[in-house]
Amino acid sequence: MIGSFQYFRFSFREVAPTMNEVLKYVQSTGLDKEHPAVVFTENVLKKLDNLQGICGGYVIKKNEPVLPTEGVIKIDDFTLHVGKQISKCLEEASYIALFLCTAGPDFSNITRKLNHEGSWMESYLVDAIGSLTVEKAMNIIWHNLAESMDKEGLKISNRYSPGYCNWDVSDQKILFSLIGDNPTRVTLSETCLMLPVKSVSGIIGIGENLRRYKYGCEMCNNQTCIYRKIIHE
Amino acid sequence: MKSELLNKLFECVEFGKINLESPYPPQMKGLPGADEITRQALESGITPDEILNEALIAAMDKVGQKFSEKKIFVPQMLLSAKAMNVSMKHLKPYFADGSVKRKGVFILGTVFGDLHDIGKNLVGMMIEGAGWEVIDLGVDVKIDTFVNKVKEYPGSPVGISALLSTTMINIKPVIEAIKTVSPKTKVIVGGAPLSAEFAASIGADAYGKNPLEGIKWLESTYRS
Repeated sequence: MIGSFQYFRFSFREVAPTMNEVLKYVQSTGLDKEHPAVVFTENVLKKLDNLQGICGGYVIKKNEPVLPTEGVIKIDDFTLHVGKQISKCLEEASYIALFLCTAGPDFSNITRKLNHEGSWMESYLVDAIGSLTVEKAMNIIWHNLAESMDKEGLKISNRYSPGYCNWDVSDQKILFSLIGDNPTRVTLSETCLMLPVKSVSGIIGIGENLRRYKYGCEMCNNQTCIYRKIIHE
Repeated sequence: MKSELLNKLFECVEFGKINLESPYPPQMKGLPGADEITRQALESGITPDEILNEALIAAMDKVGQKFSEKKIFVPQMLLSAKAMNVSMKHLKPYFADGSVKRKGVFILGTVFGDLHDIGKNLVGMMIEGAGWEVIDLGVDVKIDTFVNKVKEYPGSPVGISALLSTTMINIKPVIEAIKTVSPKTKVIVGGAPLSAEFAASIGADAYGKNPLEGIKWLESTYRS
């Protein structure tokens, strides 16, 4: 189980959000079909068909036992300060999958170009499509991991990422060190911003008695998160 | 004629009717948009001041209000901002020669280390729509760039944005540098991970939870 980085590549078609998903994400499902946001989304989803660079994966490591009250996870002599909420959820994890996934650099290039042209709404919609694309790619990776672990009689947890649930983004540096060399080409800026911007990283617990939660919002303090808005407002 | 044109322009901005070719909204299809109506208004003798105050600022104020009441969302707001921007291009020469006065200059940027710009752009558009000249320094803006712009526009308020908890801490040295060269310059900060408490702790003069709050702060602080 413990081993090298499990790598996945996707075509845009495999992970493209639907029209409705995009409109829901930008809180605009009520718009009529002639609205420029709807027309643009429909057209751009077709144009993005040849998009390259959507990829991701994970590496599995042994989880060193620690008290959940410490709010940390210890892997390979590194300590991730995930906070008590996440460490409690991963209390039963024997292993941790450290993941990384990106929608590639094209989304940033397209949004920059559209912004430059003054097409702000269009840029915003492409940005939203990028966010949903990387989430959908990561969903596939997560399900693949769940299936693999199921064969071993193990369950997997929700995904937890730096920046959410009181886990500080600065821990990205340790997370990237633990993930090590991988083919995704995702890098980290000085301020822990992932490049390409449309990328996600984090951890997934693996163990015999792990519990999964429908949504993580109850335990997360990010009041301005877009997912919280979509789910609860 | 005058009020009819200004009302039409108001509607174009409110609903995002950019020009004649814009097919939306359906009831305005085939009709002139913000682009043509602004030109027509200027040709008919309506002053740029009237266009700015009675149509553009008033329309964007309504858009901001609808946004804060969740009657519209970001895509509609951005479409309105584009319509306003197209109209504003016709007014630029009058701003340049001083025949139209703006409320002031607002310096805006995303702090160094941070590349996020959607929220910052939205704030810039709304503040421009409220009658201010916005100097947008872009993203990943270094301390010196903010400071140099403050020296260039003494007394002008500054808006600083950050989207990450790792970059919001970079705002503090920017504020310190600004206050060192210009103690009276006021700074408003905003962005998803920020709060009023955090803003106060880093020496900001205000925290803008959303674009409308930023505008209200500007209006109350710089009321002439």
